[in-house]
Order: sequence, then structure tokens, then C-alpha cells
Amino acid sequence: MRIDVDNLSFGYDYRTVLKNISFTLQSGDFLVLIGNNGSGKSTLVKCLLGINKVPEGKIYLDGQDIHNFKDWLRVGYVPQKFDDFNYEFPITVNEILNVTKFSKVDNDQKLQLLDRMGILKLQNENINELSGGQLQRVFITRALMNNPKLLILDEPTAGVDQENVIGFYRIVNDLNAEGVTIILVSHDTKGSKTNMSHIMNLDEGRAKYINVCDLDFQEESE
Amino acid sequence: MEEVLIATSFLRAIIERSFMQHALITGVLIGVLAPLVGSFVVIKRLSLIADTLSHFSLAGLSIGLFFINILGLPLGDPLYIGMVFAVIGALLIEALRSYYKNYKEISMPIVISLGTALSALFISLSGGFNTSIFNYLFGSILTVSRQFVYIIIVLTSVILVLVAAFYKQIVIISFDESYAKLLGIRVGLFQFFSTVILALIVSLSIETVGVLLVSSLMIIPVAAAMKVGKSFKSTVLIAILFSEISVLMGLWLSFIFSIPSGATIVLFNIIILLSVVISRKIIGTWLIKEKNPETMRSSLPHKKDAT
Ligand SMILES: Nc1ncnc2c1ncn2[C@@H]1O[C@H](COP(=O)(O)OP(=O)(O)OP(=O)(O)O)[C@@H](O)[C@H]1O
Ligand SMILES: [Mg+2]
Repeated sequence: MRIDVDNLSFGYDYRTVLKNISFTLQSGDFLVLIGNNGSGKSTLVKCLLGINKVPEGKIYLDGQDIHNFKDWLRVGYVPQKFDDFNYEFPITVNEILNVTKFSKVDNDQKLQLLDRMGILKLQNENINELSGGQLQRVFITRALMNNPKLLILDEPTAGVDQENVIGFYRIVNDLNAEGVTIILVSHDTKGSKTNMSHIMNLDEGRAKYINVCDLDFQEESE
Repeated sequence: MEEVLIATSFLRAIIERSFMQHALITGVLIGVLAPLVGSFVVIKRLSLIADTLSHFSLAGLSIGLFFINILGLPLGDPLYIGMVFAVIGALLIEALRSYYKNYKEISMPIVISLGTALSALFISLSGGFNTSIFNYLFGSILTVSRQFVYIIIVLTSVILVLVAAFYKQIVIISFDESYAKLLGIRVGLFQFFSTVILALIVSLSIETVGVLLVSSLMIIPVAAAMKVGKSFKSTVLIAILFSEISVLMGLWLSFIFSIPSGATIVLFNIIILLSVVISRKIIGTWLIKEKNPETMRSSLPHKKDAT
């Protein structure tokens, strides 16, 4: 999915959080978004998802103004926090994934995803009895249920053990290689072995730099 | 011997008396609807909404009684005015919830107070407490009309079809509203219709157990099932099972002791809830005594190689 952001500013109540952000990503680009706590990373990502309402003419997804964009099923999202989820009532991993699956993703594909995320054995577990890291992996899998063309990940691997982080980035890289646009918020550009093609550093709501990374750059940063 | 006689006379009454058949059909169908819809109410942490709506519905019933009995207006059954009021109350709650975004629960006491105040006003204007009011408060399943049974049958069929057709949307909205929005589901529209349906169920349940006990019909079987079920579907089915047992046992007890069915149905629900809580406690301590980590943790997976 192609993304155009044109001179976007955004604030909550009286405070401006994002200041004059512009960038373009083509299908298959991989943007890593870094910056200090409170610099506006999650805020920017929520603008791209339509959770934060922006004026018309600021954000285009696949060339369409976000206000007219309809293909939301094809946007996968792993939020930084899962506070909005209503826990405690029993529901299994499988049930959660099935109610989010609106596209024709076949069962084999689903099982393969579960396997690669290391949660195949947890399929029929009540999610209220999972550990924090296991739950995080369930929510990551949920974001992949509808064959996304754009995947937005807000610090997705917080609390996930090293082994499963590696497995997760392998999936993300594979998806990216298939042409899925990825936006990854991360504090850790070195450890996460991603295919990143662009890196943006937010500093108090301004894009301090946007780099197009070639392989040399990645090698340098490693 | 006597018990057998009572049991057969209960069965005979069901076979021979149309009022018993009406009561049975109403009870069984409400016994499905209330915990089914109640599950979604519990997930969304809106347990107080049923109480609020039933009190608001009572306002409609008492206004209806006033118009029909005192002013002599040909409005038919106050039940319909009660239904309209339940829907109005529901919309009022939704409006207040979006007005007080961060203190959503404020909406409930406001609407409950308004409903109770209006009820008090019109009950006294209609000449104070009488049998109808008593029936509204505590239920009178043995006096439901044939027409009422038809309404319940239609409503149950419609709701079951809707839940089956929009199962995914309803579940995802209940558990994770913001993710549902993200998927492009029209959350507002679903919310509106489910609120209206909830209001209708509440106002119809009033006939079964009465205003004061409606919410228990929706919440208690679910509260018990939550502690037993392992998956969403099994939990909802268990809640319906508990609720049906309570309705049937409650009807039977109400028939043989001539006490209000609302009381017996709800008390039976409570008995089931208590049994679940107590048996879980017993099983829990037994497991700890066993000190066998295998049985306690066997459901946790061994870490799998990611490759
Ligand atoms: N819903 C909100 N209402 C008001 N202010 C908010 C809201 N969400 C975020 N902010 C403010 O906006 C600023 C940017 O927050 P944001 O969550 O985007 O930061 P972030 O870069 O994601 O930080 P972190 O690395 O801690 O996740 C912060 O100062 C925060 O206090
Ligand atoms: Mg953040």
C-alpha cells in the first residue's frame, strides 16, 4: 500500500504533538519510526489508522484521502497497549482470530501463522490464562488475519522473548518481501533484524530526519 | 409419593392449561434470550444497564396504567408503552455515555433516577399500588397473554438470526471496540441496534420476573458460566443451560407453592451461582493439596522452537 503524508500537524486539545510531517512510502517499503518517549510516534501511527482524526488532504492511502479510504480490512495493526480489550470473559485464541478474519484466509495459512508465531499449541486456550508475551503474540497474529497490505506495528515485541522476536521479524520481513508496506515503531533499530528501507526519527513531533536506507546504512547501524 | 403427585399435576397443568403453556414458552424463550444478550452486556461491563432499563420501562408501564385506567385512553396494553420507554431509556443512556466520555457509568444512575421518579409519580397518580403494579415489580409469568407469547416467539427468532448472521461483528465489537472500528465495522450502527434489542428484551422479561429482578436473569447465569466455560461459545451455552434450569425449576416451585415465579427463578439462579463458586473453591484447594504441578500447569505449553 502506498502512503502519502502531506504537511501533517496534529494535537490533542491545546497541545500540538505532530508538526509538519511529510513523507511518502511506496508499496513494499519498510519504515522504522524511532524517537524518545512522548515524541509522537504512536500519535502519528494513529493518524495513519484514522483513530486520530486529521483534516482532509493530509493523509492518502493508495492515493485516496483517508476520509474516503474503504479497504481497512487490509490494514493490520498491533497497538502499543491493549487496554481497550475487555478481558476476563472466556474466549479462546482461535475464537479471537476467527472473529477478526473477514477475508478468505484459508485454514492452512492460519495454522502456519500460528505455528510461526509459536502459538499453535495455544489455539484452544482461554486468552485470560496466557502470559503477557503469549498474549502479545496472539494480537500480532490477529493483525495478520486478513492478508494486510499495510502493517502498522507499535512496539510489537515489548514483552516477547528473544526467540519469538526473531521468529516474528522473520514473518514481517517475509511479508515485506511480498510487497506489504510496514511501519514499525521501535526503540531498537540495532537488535531487530528488519528489512527496513526508511528510518524516521521523531523529535518532539518533528521529523528530525528521514533516511532512505540502503544496505550500507543497515550494515553501519548494526 | 406426594412429590410424584405434585410433579404429575405440574405436567398435567402444562398439558391441559393454556396459561401454563404460555408461561412455559415465555420462560424457556426468555431463558435463552436473557443470558445470550446478557453475555455481551457482561463483556462490555454494562451489567447495570439492564436494571436501568427495567426501571425506565416501569415508568412507561405506570404512565400507561395512568393513561388507560385513570384517563381512559384506548392505548391497549401498558406493555407497549413500557417497551417504548425501555428504548427511550436506552437511547438516553447512549447519549449520556457519549457526553460523559470518561465517566460513562454516570449515565446509569441518572436514567435510573429519572425512571424511578416518573414511576413513583404516576403510580401514585393512578391510585397507588395495585395488582398490576405488584405484577410489574415481581413478574407474573402465569398471566401472560397469547399475544405476548407470539411477540416473544417473533423476537426470539429475529434475535437468533441476527446473532448468527453478525456473530463475528458482535463478538469483536464486544471484546475490542477500537479494533472493530479499525476493521471498518460500523460500530455505531451495531451499537444502536443492540441497544434497542436489549431494551426490548428487558421490557419483555419484566413479565417473567418483574422490574426488580430482570437484570438478574441476564447477569447471574452468565456470572456463573464465566467461571466454568473455557471458550466464548461454551460459556454462552453454559449460561443458557443454567438459565433454563432455573426457569424450569422456578416455574415448578412457583406452581406448587404458589409464590411469584420471579422470586423462585432468580433464587434458583443464585443457588447455581453459589454452587459454582463453592465447588470451584473446593476443587481449587484440592488441586493445591495435591501439589502436583503436572495437573495444575499441564495446559501451559512448552516453549516451541520458532524456526
Ligand atoms: N489521548 C491523548 N490525549 C492527550 N494527549 C496525548 C494522548 N496520547 C498521547 N498524548 C500526548 O502526546 C504526546 C505524544 O505521545 P505518543 O504516545 O505519540 O508518544 P510516543 O512517541 O508513542 O511515546 P512512547 O515511546 O512512550 O510510546 C505525549 O506528550 C502524550 O502525553
Ligand atoms: Mg508510543
